[in-house]
Amino acid sequence: MRSVRKAPDEWDEERLVRLVAKGDRAAFDELYRRTAPWMAVRLRRRCADEQIVAEVMQETYLAVWRAAGAFAGASVGGTAVGWLWTIAARRLVDAFRRRAHHAEPPPAAAPADAAPAAEEEALAATVGGDVGDALRHLAPELRQVLQALVLDGLSVRETSVLLGLPEGTVKTRARRARIAMRRALT
Amino acid sequence: MSVEHASTRIIDCYARGLDGTDLTADEVWAVEAHLEACRVCRERLAAAVAVHAPGVAALVGNVWAGLEPRLGAPVARRRYRSVRLSSWLTPAMVPWLGMVVSVALLALLLDLVGGGYGFGSGRVSLVLLLAPVLPVLGVAASWSQGLDPAYELTASVPRAGLQLVLRRTASVLAVVVPALLVGGWATGVPGVTAAQWLLPCLAFTSTTLALGGVVGVTRAAVAVVVVWAGVVVAPTVVASRATFALQTGGLAVWGLVLTLGIGVVIARRGAYSVLGAHR
Repeated sequence: MRSVRKAPDEWDEERLVRLVAKGDRAAFDELYRRTAPWMAVRLRRRCADEQIVAEVMQETYLAVWRAAGAFAGASVGGTAVGWLWTIAARRLVDAFRRRAHHAEPPPAAAPADAAPAAEEEALAATVGGDVGDALRHLAPELRQVLQALVLDGLSVRETSVLLGLPEGTVKTRARRARIAMRRALT
Repeated sequence: MSVEHASTRIIDCYARGLDGTDLTADEVWAVEAHLEACRVCRERLAAAVAVHAPGVAALVGNVWAGLEPRLGAPVARRRYRSVRLSSWLTPAMVPWLGMVVSVALLALLLDLVGGGYGFGSGRVSLVLLLAPVLPVLGVAASWSQGLDPAYELTASVPRAGLQLVLRRTASVLAVVVPALLVGGWATGVPGVTAAQWLLPCLAFTSTTLALGGVVGVTRAAVAVVVVWAGVVVAPTVVASRATFALQTGGLAVWGLVLTLGIGVVIARRGAYSVLGAHR
């Protein structure tokens, strides 16, 4: 097929998704093997109900299998893994909507009892230092909202479904979170 | 890109989920953002899940078990065949092609039964009389605003223009010429060679295309048919013998017309991409 044919486990996820779009079953298996544990853990942190998580994962991967062609690729600045998560987050919101009852909103992370060791704070430069401090001191309910909006890339409406809050509350909390972050960082 | 990875403690705690001692909010945030971008840490997380979170590992297995039967055979994602065919033919052409072929067959039948039009040595084959203008009708039908409902769509595509005109013309000829060849061979009217009708046939087709660039293909086809009827068919019917145009001596003239037509088409190739050319 290709002149240089490497083993599937050497391909990056973007390549795998493109192969899945062509109906390559081996690529799909590999993609699942690589990303499913990560997705399961991440979903479990947002939804305590294992049933819903299983359902969401199944729908997500089924959608990937059927519509991998819709992945626009790294050309638009998205990674395949980020794309996967976008699908999963949307499906999670849909599942909450369908069930009409809200699973336990993810319990707010307990405030840190002990200060983390210095080397553990040195994470990949995404969140660190002042931003980390600001986030930690943010009230849990504000942080939840910020997490859904920023980290998961959901809309205000989707966030309100996910957290079981009215839309107005989500907006207010997002604003309050932003103000608090700004104050903490100046 | 930073090569810094999340520490084992953070990965393990993250894998354990909300049950065990949890990470601080900024750690969760950072590790989630990092995991989305880092393949190595995702692999480490998968390993940590297998060790520390058997529940999640079982979940992953269950989801796969439920997923596998639903995958089924990969859907046929592309319809190569129809795409290929539709770049040569439009559905609107089909009845016209059918008509052209059936006219050829009828002429052939009449030739076989009646021995051609006229009497004695001056007999003129009906196939010979009709053959040159039959493809013209098909070409006209393939470029007709009135007959092709998708004509505006076709006219607006980037590939509309000479290339598409030639493609469709070629597909018309591909259907009509074999039918005429069979007809000419089967009638076997003495003194009629394939060149005698094939050359006028091609000459008329190229003339239609050349004229079509100016007044529209359908109008050009009508004009050509009228000229043919007036100059060749009518004298033949009246005089009951083949006119000069159909005799072997006329071949050079037809060749000239054919060359001229092709030359004009090539010279005016830009004219076919305007809407008027499809009338």
